[in-house]
Amino acid sequence: MPSAATENKANVPKKGIFNNTTGFSTLITVTVLSLAWLAGFASRLFAVIRFESIIHEFDPWFNYRSTAYMVQHGFYNFLNWFDERAWYPLGRIVGGTVYPGLMITSGTIHWILHTLNIPIHIRDICVFLAPVFSGLTAIATYLLTSELWSRGAGLFAACFIAIIPGYSSRSVAGSYDNEGIAIFALQFTYYLWLKSIKSGSIFWSICTALSYFYMVSAWGGYVFIINLIPLHVFVLLIMGRFSQRLFVSYSVFYIVGLLLSMQIPFVGFQPIRTSEHMAASGVFALLMAIGALKYLHSLNPKGQWKQLLILGGLVAAVTVFLAVVLLTYMGIIAPWSGRFYSLWDTGYAKIHIPIIASVSEHQPTTWSSFFFDLHVLVCTFPVGLWYCIKNVNDERVFVALYALSAVYFAGVMVRLMLTLTPVVCVLAGIAFSILLDLVLREDETPAPTQESDDKNLYDKAGKLKKRTPEPVGETGLGMNVRSGTLIAFMILLMLFSVHCTWATSNAYSSPSIVLASYGNDGSRKILDDFREAYGWLSQNTAEDARVMSWWDYGYQIAGMGNRTTLVDNNTWNNSHIALVGKAMASNETAAYNIMTMLDVDYVLVIFGGAIGYSGDDINKFIWMVRIAEGEHPKDIHEADYFTERGEYRIDSEASKTMLNSLMYKLSYYRYDSGGSPPGFDRTRGALPGLRGFKLTYLEEAYTTEHWLVRIYRVKKPDEFNRPRLPLAKRTIQTSNVMSKKLAVDIGHMTSKRRKGALKNKPILVKGKKVTKLD
Amino acid sequence: MKNLIILCLLGYLSIAFADKETLVLVDNLNIRETHSLFFKSLQERGYTLTFKLADDANLVLSKYGEYLYKNLIVFAPSVVEFGGQLDTEAITRFIDDGGNVLMAGSSAAGDVYREIASECGFEMDEESAAVIDHFNYDSLDEGDHTRIVVSPKNLIDAPTIVGTHNTQPLLFDGTGLILDKDNSLVLPILTADSTAYSYNPKNQVKEYPHAVGRKTVLIAALQARNNARIVFSGSLFFFSDEAFNSPVSKVHGDKIKAALSGNKQLSIHLSQWVFGERGQLRVQSVHHQRQGDKQSSNTYTITDTVVYRIEIEELKNGKWQPFEANDVQLEFVRIDPFIRTTLQKKPNGIYEAIFKVPDVWGVYQFKVDYDRVGYTRLYHSTQVSVRPLQHTQYERFIPSAYPYYVSAFSMMIGVFLFSFVFLYYKEDSPKSKAE
Repeated sequence: MPSAATENKANVPKKGIFNNTTGFSTLITVTVLSLAWLAGFASRLFAVIRFESIIHEFDPWFNYRSTAYMVQHGFYNFLNWFDERAWYPLGRIVGGTVYPGLMITSGTIHWILHTLNIPIHIRDICVFLAPVFSGLTAIATYLLTSELWSRGAGLFAACFIAIIPGYSSRSVAGSYDNEGIAIFALQFTYYLWLKSIKSGSIFWSICTALSYFYMVSAWGGYVFIINLIPLHVFVLLIMGRFSQRLFVSYSVFYIVGLLLSMQIPFVGFQPIRTSEHMAASGVFALLMAIGALKYLHSLNPKGQWKQLLILGGLVAAVTVFLAVVLLTYMGIIAPWSGRFYSLWDTGYAKIHIPIIASVSEHQPTTWSSFFFDLHVLVCTFPVGLWYCIKNVNDERVFVALYALSAVYFAGVMVRLMLTLTPVVCVLAGIAFSILLDLVLREDETPAPTQESDDKNLYDKAGKLKKRTPEPVGETGLGMNVRSGTLIAFMILLMLFSVHCTWATSNAYSSPSIVLASYGNDGSRKILDDFREAYGWLSQNTAEDARVMSWWDYGYQIAGMGNRTTLVDNNTWNNSHIALVGKAMASNETAAYNIMTMLDVDYVLVIFGGAIGYSGDDINKFIWMVRIAEGEHPKDIHEADYFTERGEYRIDSEASKTMLNSLMYKLSYYRYDSGGSPPGFDRTRGALPGLRGFKLTYLEEAYTTEHWLVRIYRVKKPDEFNRPRLPLAKRTIQTSNVMSKKLAVDIGHMTSKRRKGALKNKPILVKGKKVTKLD
Repeated sequence: MKNLIILCLLGYLSIAFADKETLVLVDNLNIRETHSLFFKSLQERGYTLTFKLADDANLVLSKYGEYLYKNLIVFAPSVVEFGGQLDTEAITRFIDDGGNVLMAGSSAAGDVYREIASECGFEMDEESAAVIDHFNYDSLDEGDHTRIVVSPKNLIDAPTIVGTHNTQPLLFDGTGLILDKDNSLVLPILTADSTAYSYNPKNQVKEYPHAVGRKTVLIAALQARNNARIVFSGSLFFFSDEAFNSPVSKVHGDKIKAALSGNKQLSIHLSQWVFGERGQLRVQSVHHQRQGDKQSSNTYTITDTVVYRIEIEELKNGKWQPFEANDVQLEFVRIDPFIRTTLQKKPNGIYEAIFKVPDVWGVYQFKVDYDRVGYTRLYHSTQVSVRPLQHTQYERFIPSAYPYYVSAFSMMIGVFLFSFVFLYYKEDSPKSKAE
């Protein structure tokens, strides 16, 4: 339990023994932080130990592929990389549609190590980047929390964030994704922002802007920062906390940050052209207006400036708001994107943008996952929040806004749990620090705590006197209550760290491209079907073969199979995805037309029926239908795929459209595994409704060991060489279907040398004269 | 590229020798005599004919996966079952592997014929049915009006298949064929007149005949997608010496008379087409480049001007010679054709197009799809990617942005100057205040 140990140490500086010696407290801080780093790093290595040093899941494969490309071809070629292997035949400008921070980070590490003659493969850097960055995140969280409250709280927060499942879910070894480094950038930017707003120095503001630039280059979640900081400023303005420090730090941060963020090709002109970024510029304009009014006020402090100030501020706010609305109507500013609307209306995506709703991590969060990802912290962080609001100052306003907005967003989307986690750690750290302050301070003389220091610095002196009695009243706790509370909370923290390790190990450390199943005797069996299939693709298909699959597998096919894909996880073109969905949802003939139009060579489907893998294509199929219906409402109707009673079934009661769809056929073609009776679908727990059918336009090319990945080859039009007339279409009936020689009845050898038959053949009989037949 | 051409040449040479191997299946060896003129013309053109009885127990088309023959002639209407390894499936596989087949039946032809016909997308009328035309029969007809005279106007308009000088009337005696209408690959080479129908001449007409009027196809052809060619004639008599040499005189109607039927000429033309002596096209080379560049490239930038050249050759008299046509088109396709243009003819069978790549990036294909009746399908596609501008290819200075440049630079100069003012300006006012 390294974390439990560190938490104990976290309280040491408060005890007063080392209070005077800064050397000891620094030593303890450094020790705790490095232990947190180590613990965080170690707890993220389950995947590597259980499986291997491998890139996980879907998006990381793309990140890895582009990182490898960048390392191989250099940064400028990466920037101009036009990937003709993705989104066939549209192609993808990778350099312009990617947040390059991740690639640049690992590329830089790779370059440094190679300059130092440490020959490490780029894959290993990619695999271990996120665990390493988790330590940096811990440090950034420590800095942020110490800025907000105290160093003790900071150490708590650092320990929490190092191991909390809500963060390690996105940063285990192999999970090479933007979030891995973005959370660090997020926390560090916030720390620098608080620093700059506290000091009002241009230096810290520039640092904030630079850190913000790194965040922009790393993750699309930078929008959270560029809305939260203006919100902070706006709320401070409303609270009447305008100051020169605020003015300097925000205006410097905004202008420099804006210019820097526009240097990322993917972001480009968005910061001045889209509604998502308008809050920042609006607040900037408002701040300028108020700054100007304040300046006028300072010229003549005696006049009726107070009213004018309020009025002027209101007028400025309304003007800014109207200007933004007007510009949006004129089309100069793009309106809110659909993804943004889905943050306010959870049902929006399901109706309007099924492609967003189809992703499981875009679903609303359940209560249990709050507890699962945050454990005891979810219960304690409101305490920290309460203390922050109670002892409010400029920075604590920020953390309160951060907490409130993050809680809301985490409730809307599972994925945004990630942005909630850091603030929960910060606030829970504060809560635990306060609690231990109370409990452990018994034999000390009542000394001014750090919080009261903060108050002295930043709060109005009048309020201070009201609050001081409260901690005094609480110090009168008995010895038993103190030790009881202490023990209870130590046990809680211990359980927390146990839970964190367990959750990281069991829920978040699966690479999901290698599956493991456990037998009755506890033996582990590795199902490596994905890599088997992708390996087959890379070895046995033409270099430029085009593989059609649902978009989930696009990055993996490109990364592991090295083949051209039609759609992938970068879901930028909905209509192209809908076309693939339509092909999957249509019957074979209609699908064949689409597939020849798109020059498809192979079709890849994931079928989990044999091993009971529930994330397979049949279970995703209804989303393909929905997405296809969105673009082709004439051809695809969702209702056709349900039974009359509205059930989604695959057995004999399934609808005819369902049974004839390409996806169904490709999944169940020749399927005879899955236990008894043969052909039983374990995932759906049903016997497929249509079995023993034949495929006309496709042929099975490869099926992996556990039927998990099935690859089909699409026949070329040339292969339908002759326009054969099927028996049913013939007008003139023949006696037999096809005179095929049966080897069975006569035997193998004789059948090859069998004599044919002619009508009216003259038969030679010895001794008779040949008579001519007419 | 060079290696590829050498390989192609080697392949071509090896094919050239095997090209003329022909298996002739007959139902009695008499046919060798009765159709001698036709066979002689083939032999004169260099074909090696191997005559076999259709029920021969040793019939094989291929040995160890290699085909022994390139062409197959089936002149055995009375076959019920082929001997040896031969059956409908073997023949269709032979077609699928690129073999050419010439089949001629008669009204007595059995189900094997019908099966093979159906496999090729047309049908042969019922056994013992024959094409009867009470208005266009020959004077030598025996009373059933099955020896009909067909005008060469009924021939398909495709000079590569039937030749250009078909003026003599044609004699036909055999069964009719029905074509599947939905099928674009099947060609009706010779159709009967509107007065013809196909029925058993010995029976009274009770049911509606399967083939009536112009829908009665006498000779049909198929060029499969692999360019294998099949000619299917309802009449074996059509290829016989008798039909080749007999005079024609129609009893009714315009009473056409001719000293000699056109059968010989047409048969020879048909055999030349079916065995691939004519109407063969191939792409000799394809070259595309950015205009002004010398090297071919697989990547173009949007709005580049591209030169595309394709060299097409046609097999003439056993030699590949430049192909002449004015209607070869090029498509530049990304799902849909973005550009479709007629290729300009240049000397030596080279066709050229110069066009501007559209302002849309993606993976494109140059497609030449030349599909004309009588010619093998010429299809060639080359995949290239069209990429957007690189970061260095954008304009550095835009004229409309000059005011902004001026303001930016003037600002910089201003700040620079102001910093001097700020640093070295001595403020007097505090002093005066102090004073």
